[in-house]
Amino acid sequence: MWFFAASRLWSSSTVPDNLRLPQLDPHDYFSSSFLDRSAAYERFLRIDFVLSAVALLVVLGLYARHGARFTRESAAGRVGTGMLLGMLGFAFVWLSQLPFSVAGLWWERRHGISRQGYVESVVGSFVGLGGQFLFICAAIGIVMALAGVMRRRWWVAGVPIFVGLALLFAFVQPFLMTDLHSLRNAKVAADARALARKEGVPHVPVKVEKVRKQTTAPNAEAVGIGSSRRVILWDTLLDRRFDRREVRTIVAHELGHVQRNHVLKGIGWFALAILPTAFLIALATRRRGGMYRPEAVPVALFVLIAVQVATIPLQNIVSRHVEQEADWIALETTRDPAAARNAFRELAIASLNQPRPPAWAYALFETHPTIIQRIAIARAWEDRETGRSPG
Amino acid sequence: MAPRAVRLVIRDPDLHRSRLTSGFRLILAIPHFLWLAGWFSLAALVAIANWIATLITGSPSPMLHRFLAAYVRYAAHVVSYVTLAADPFPGFTGRAGSYPIDLEIEDPGRQNRWVTGFRLLLAVPAIILADLMMGFGTSASGGWGTQAGGLVATVALLSWFVIVARGEIPRGFRDALAYSIGYSAQVNGYAFLLTDRYPNSDPAVYEAANAYRSDPIRLTVDDDLRRSRLTTFFRGLLAIPHLVFATLWGLAVFFALIANWFVTLFRGRPADGLARFLTRYVRYTTHVWAYTLLIANPFPGFTGLPGSYPVDVEVEAPVQQNRWVTGFRILLAIPALLIQSALNTLAFVAGVFIWFYALARGSAPQGLRNLGVYALRYNAQTNGYLFLLTERYPYTGPSAGWQLSLEAPADLPA
Repeated sequence: MWFFAASRLWSSSTVPDNLRLPQLDPHDYFSSSFLDRSAAYERFLRIDFVLSAVALLVVLGLYARHGARFTRESAAGRVGTGMLLGMLGFAFVWLSQLPFSVAGLWWERRHGISRQGYVESVVGSFVGLGGQFLFICAAIGIVMALAGVMRRRWWVAGVPIFVGLALLFAFVQPFLMTDLHSLRNAKVAADARALARKEGVPHVPVKVEKVRKQTTAPNAEAVGIGSSRRVILWDTLLDRRFDRREVRTIVAHELGHVQRNHVLKGIGWFALAILPTAFLIALATRRRGGMYRPEAVPVALFVLIAVQVATIPLQNIVSRHVEQEADWIALETTRDPAAARNAFRELAIASLNQPRPPAWAYALFETHPTIIQRIAIARAWEDRETGRSPG
Repeated sequence: MAPRAVRLVIRDPDLHRSRLTSGFRLILAIPHFLWLAGWFSLAALVAIANWIATLITGSPSPMLHRFLAAYVRYAAHVVSYVTLAADPFPGFTGRAGSYPIDLEIEDPGRQNRWVTGFRLLLAVPAIILADLMMGFGTSASGGWGTQAGGLVATVALLSWFVIVARGEIPRGFRDALAYSIGYSAQVNGYAFLLTDRYPNSDPAVYEAANAYRSDPIRLTVDDDLRRSRLTTFFRGLLAIPHLVFATLWGLAVFFALIANWFVTLFRGRPADGLARFLTRYVRYTTHVWAYTLLIANPFPGFTGLPGSYPVDVEVEAPVQQNRWVTGFRILLAIPALLIQSALNTLAFVAGVFIWFYALARGSAPQGLRNLGVYALRYNAQTNGYLFLLTERYPYTGPSAGWQLSLEAPADLPA
């Protein structure tokens, strides 16, 4: 049943079956100095990430072992104490990640990618921790309340509830985003409307998010489900580094996500992932009395994060699959492979993205097809249209 | 606990006030304002000389000490007169024993040279707290900041209306003023090197300003002052779920309050079920603020159950209430809400100071903790009054008394 659902989800996102990507040489599209610079830039960030993941697992492992002692800091009942332990777990996570995030910020600032100040970044992440505390309290409240009624089978009822909450969050998320405004460039706005009509999602608005003060990196995303669906372009996309045709490609790509309901499908994947994860948590916490007991919360946190870290390559495979579909839809809509190639090239240059990363980095870090793969997709589309053989 | 070098004394407990001189108090005080300003200018220079002398010899010069002690005492007399804490027109000399609200100041003794060297820097938190207490910039060294809604400014303003109407100041008002004046005098004494003992904000140690009372809404404190550094560091964030929950619960309380108002108005006493619900909320918010402001250490529960938290609220069962007082309850509560706001500001600042202290030492200073308790007790009483749990008006004075660190008198009524 699980495999059947996973296979249906996987096959619901497609690019043509017989598509063969041409082998491209990054040197044909990027200068050697850029390739060296982007490789060095990404290498540091990858090492930083790996070290931070190791620190994360070590800290949460220690917390799983010793965290139960913090029950003495609580005068609340079992659920309230569980919430406290959950929040403290996240607090440890924040503390353990702080040096790595500061190091990453330093590196990004050094390369002109980030414009955030150190204090702003640390304070911002500290304040953001408050939101995470609320989230973890709600999650633990639900799980421990269910465990109070269903004991070890809490996960049977817990999974549909969390999926429901994920749906709710996906729906309200666009309304929680601040610093959004409508497209002010009349030509880009007209292009966005035309593309939305062409892709069959005419009522999906395209908004602009102000991020220029924080970063120089360009980006865009599709958010929301149902009537809350919208496309968000970072204002760094509209600062004239990308021409009108390139912006059209990126808007078409995001509208492709909307057309193919990728956010909803993402929740489908979440549902498939949370089921075994919840079961695993229920299993791992048995020795601590199950999720009925607050002492089990640190163990549950460790299992949750460990599963997340361990399945990063799988998550990336799924993510790359849907991104490739969105690229393909963008090409079908704009019918402008040259603009797509240029857009991907500019994205790489603006974000110092290594066009062809090493295989291990590809598996661990790349949520999108590599830049060179994306250029190859554009080339393959062009070849199909013109009837040329790939090469 | 070390005895305080600058002690508040209430020599005349009489609460009667002349309506005439109270009505024109600010105008009558003008000569004192001028004299105080001139004296302060001189005192600031003398304090510098005293600082140098104390650094060199290890104790203040007796002559300079006398001069500065007289200034600190005179400032307390003037503030007492202006804020209506005392009635008679004060003298201009700051002579000991010459005024109903007075200070006892110890003779000069040896002082730690490090504490002397960094005195002004060390005094900054106390000066901030004193200024917030006073509210109009009359505290340490003549005022370092101005803020309109301080405890003294608020209570003095309300006292003016009461005195003009009744010719008497309520005991709670007088004691709140006396406590603040006493603390401010300690800050002055510390800043002017009369002593190297840090000002103590604990309301319980101002015996002269403490009343032993048994109110229908009271606070109990069973806190060992230990604070977890980890939960202290993240305290503001850890409290967020509680603040969200309290807000949601508050929505239900709003409707329960309206229902309770109608019930109490027609029946003459609150409905038991509604009173229990509202009492739970009062207790819960007290737990939450005690946690948030580091007045207590453990993470509170979400239920507001009695006896579930080290800083707890006891509420007596509802009794018959005067219908007039019930009918106009919201209007009558306005002065209490103003005082509550001033006390909450103090508690918040005290919480910030406790945060730094607790991170460094792993414990909370008793003085700041008890200042927070004072504010929480007043909060609980104000909310209880507003929610019609009692018709007893919140007591403004620091009645911390036996609940904290002072022994109750043997003849205290049960």
